[in-house]
Amino acid sequence: MENNIKIQIRNLWFYYKTISMLEGINVDFPENTITSITGPSGQGKSSFLMTMNRLWQCIDGASVKGEVKINFGNGFEDINHQKYPLPMLRRKVGMVFQTPNPLPMSIFKNIAFPFKLIGEKNQNKTFEKVEYALKKAFLWQEVKNRLTEDAGVLSGGQQQRLCIARALVLEPQVLLLDEPTSSLDEISAEMIEQLLLKLKKKCTIILVSHYMDQVKRIADTKFILSNRQLTLQEE
Amino acid sequence: MFSWCCALLLATGFMFIVGFLVVKGYRGINLELIFADTRLLDAFFLKRQVFGGLFPAIIGTLSLILLSIGFALPLGLASGIFLAEYASPRLKSFFSLMVDILAGIPSIVVGLFGFSITIFLHHFFSSQIFPCLLISALSLAFLILPYIIKTTQVAIESLPLQVRLTAPSLGATKLENIIFVLLPSALSDIVSGIVLAIGRCAEDTAVIMLTGVVATAGVPRSVFSNFEALPFYIYYIASEYSNSSELMKGYGAALILLLISAGLFALAHWIKLKIEQKTRFGY
Ligand SMILES: Nc1ncnc2c1ncn2[C@@H]1O[C@H](COP(=O)(O)OP(=O)(O)OP(=O)(O)O)[C@@H](O)[C@H]1O
Ligand SMILES: [Mg+2]
Repeated sequence: MENNIKIQIRNLWFYYKTISMLEGINVDFPENTITSITGPSGQGKSSFLMTMNRLWQCIDGASVKGEVKINFGNGFEDINHQKYPLPMLRRKVGMVFQTPNPLPMSIFKNIAFPFKLIGEKNQNKTFEKVEYALKKAFLWQEVKNRLTEDAGVLSGGQQQRLCIARALVLEPQVLLLDEPTSSLDEISAEMIEQLLLKLKKKCTIILVSHYMDQVKRIADTKFILSNRQLTLQEE
Repeated sequence: MFSWCCALLLATGFMFIVGFLVVKGYRGINLELIFADTRLLDAFFLKRQVFGGLFPAIIGTLSLILLSIGFALPLGLASGIFLAEYASPRLKSFFSLMVDILAGIPSIVVGLFGFSITIFLHHFFSSQIFPCLLISALSLAFLILPYIIKTTQVAIESLPLQVRLTAPSLGATKLENIIFVLLPSALSDIVSGIVLAIGRCAEDTAVIMLTGVVATAGVPRSVFSNFEALPFYIYYIASEYSNSSELMKGYGAALILLLISAGLFALAHWIKLKIEQKTRFGY
C-alpha cells in the first residue's frame, strides 16, 4: 500500500547568514510513516526540521529558499508563503527539541501551555488532556503528585518525556522529533519507540536519531543528511 | 583565592560602613528625631506639620522614589523589550549608544537640565510652575531610565536560543512568548536592575537640589509642592551643623535612609517572589 504524500519539499535551501546548510533538497514524506534522518553531527539535521514548522524564522540570520508544501487535509499549501498563519502551523506540526526545554512554569502548566494559547477555558478538559498526554509519554506515574512543582527540577530524562507529552497534547498531524530518546535509558527509550509506532497511525513522524539500531527498529524510510544533501539509505 | 579575598574585602567594607553608621547613629534614633514634638497621630494624618523632625524628609524621599520608579519602570521595561525583541539591528545599535550615553550623564547635569526646563516652562507657559516634587521625580526618572532599559534589554537578550524557541514552537505569537516566557525567565536580572535604580533614587542629592528640595517644607501636600528629602538633609547637616546634637541627627538620618533602601530592596524581592510563585507553580 502506498501512503499519500504529507510533506513535499522542493529545491529547499537553508542559510545561516551567507553559509548554506542545505542545498536544493527535494524529498517527499508519506503520511502515517516514520521517516528517520541520520548523519554526522553539525550537518544541519536540527536546522532541517525547523524548515517544516518555519521555526527558523525566530533565529537571527537564518533564511530559507524553496518550497515546503504540507497537506493538512485541504490540499498542498506552501508554508513558506508570507501570509501562512504561523501559530496554526505550529499547532499542527509538533516539535520535540534535541535538548529538553521545559518552560519556566510548573509541570502542569508546561503541558497545558498550548491549551492556554488557544484560549481553552474549560479546566476539566485541560486537566484530562494533560493527564492523557503525560500517560502517553510514560511520565504520569512519576509526576502525578507533583504537578504544581517547577518543571525545571525534573531530571533530564523526565524533562525529555515532558517535552514529548507537551508536543502530543494538541494532537499534531506532523511530529518533528530531534533525538527524543537521547537522555533516556534503554527501557524508557523502547517505550517511546512503542509510542511512536502507535502514533504513526494518526501522524506523520520525522525522527532525527543517532541510534542506528533504533532507526532500524522503527523507521519506514531512512535518510542520511550530509554534505548539504539528503540521500535515501538503501537496506 | 583572589576572588575570595575580594569577597572578604567587600564584606569588610560593608560591615565597616554599616557598623560605623549604627554606632554613630543608633543613639540619635528615637521618636523625637522623627516627629520632634508633634503627636504621632497628628503627624500621620497630616493634622499638624512636623517641624524639626525627619518625618517630612522620610515621606519626601519615599514619595520621590515611588514616583520616579513609577514613571521610569513602565517606560524602561517597554523600551528594553522593544530594543531586545523588536528593533532592527541598526536601530538597536543606535539606541543602545544613546542609552549608554544617557547612563553616563552625571546627575548634576540631569538636575541642571530639569532646572532649566522648569525655568523655561515658568517663563513661557505658566508662572505657576516652580521646582517641585513632580519635576524632581521626573528628572530622577530620567536619570534611572537608562539603567532599567539596559538591564531589561540585556536580561532578555542573554536568554539562550532554545528558551526563545520553545513557546513559538508550541504556537505562541511573539508577544505571548515575551509575556509568558521571556519576561519571567529574565525576571531576576530585571529586578536587580530595579533595585539598583531604587538605590540611585534614594541617594541622589544633586538632581533634587536643583529641582525642588528645600530644608524645611513639611510633608509635601501634592506633587506640585516643595519637599524635604533625607539625602539632602544629611548633606545640609554635614555642611552646616553647629553642635554635636545636630550632627547626631545627621547620622540618624543616614541610618534611616539606609533602612528605607533596605526595606525597598526587600519589597522588590518580595514582589519578585510573588510573581515567580504565580507564574512558576500551581495549575
Ligand atoms: N543559530 C545559528 N546561527 C549560526 N549557525 C548555526 C546556528 N545554529 C546552528 N548553526 C550551524 O549550523 C550547522 C548545523 O547545525 P544543526 O544544529 O542543524 O546540526 P545537527 O545536524 O542537528 O547536529 P547534531 O547532530 O550535533 O545535533 C552547524 O554547523 C552549526 O554550527
Ligand atoms: Mg541537532
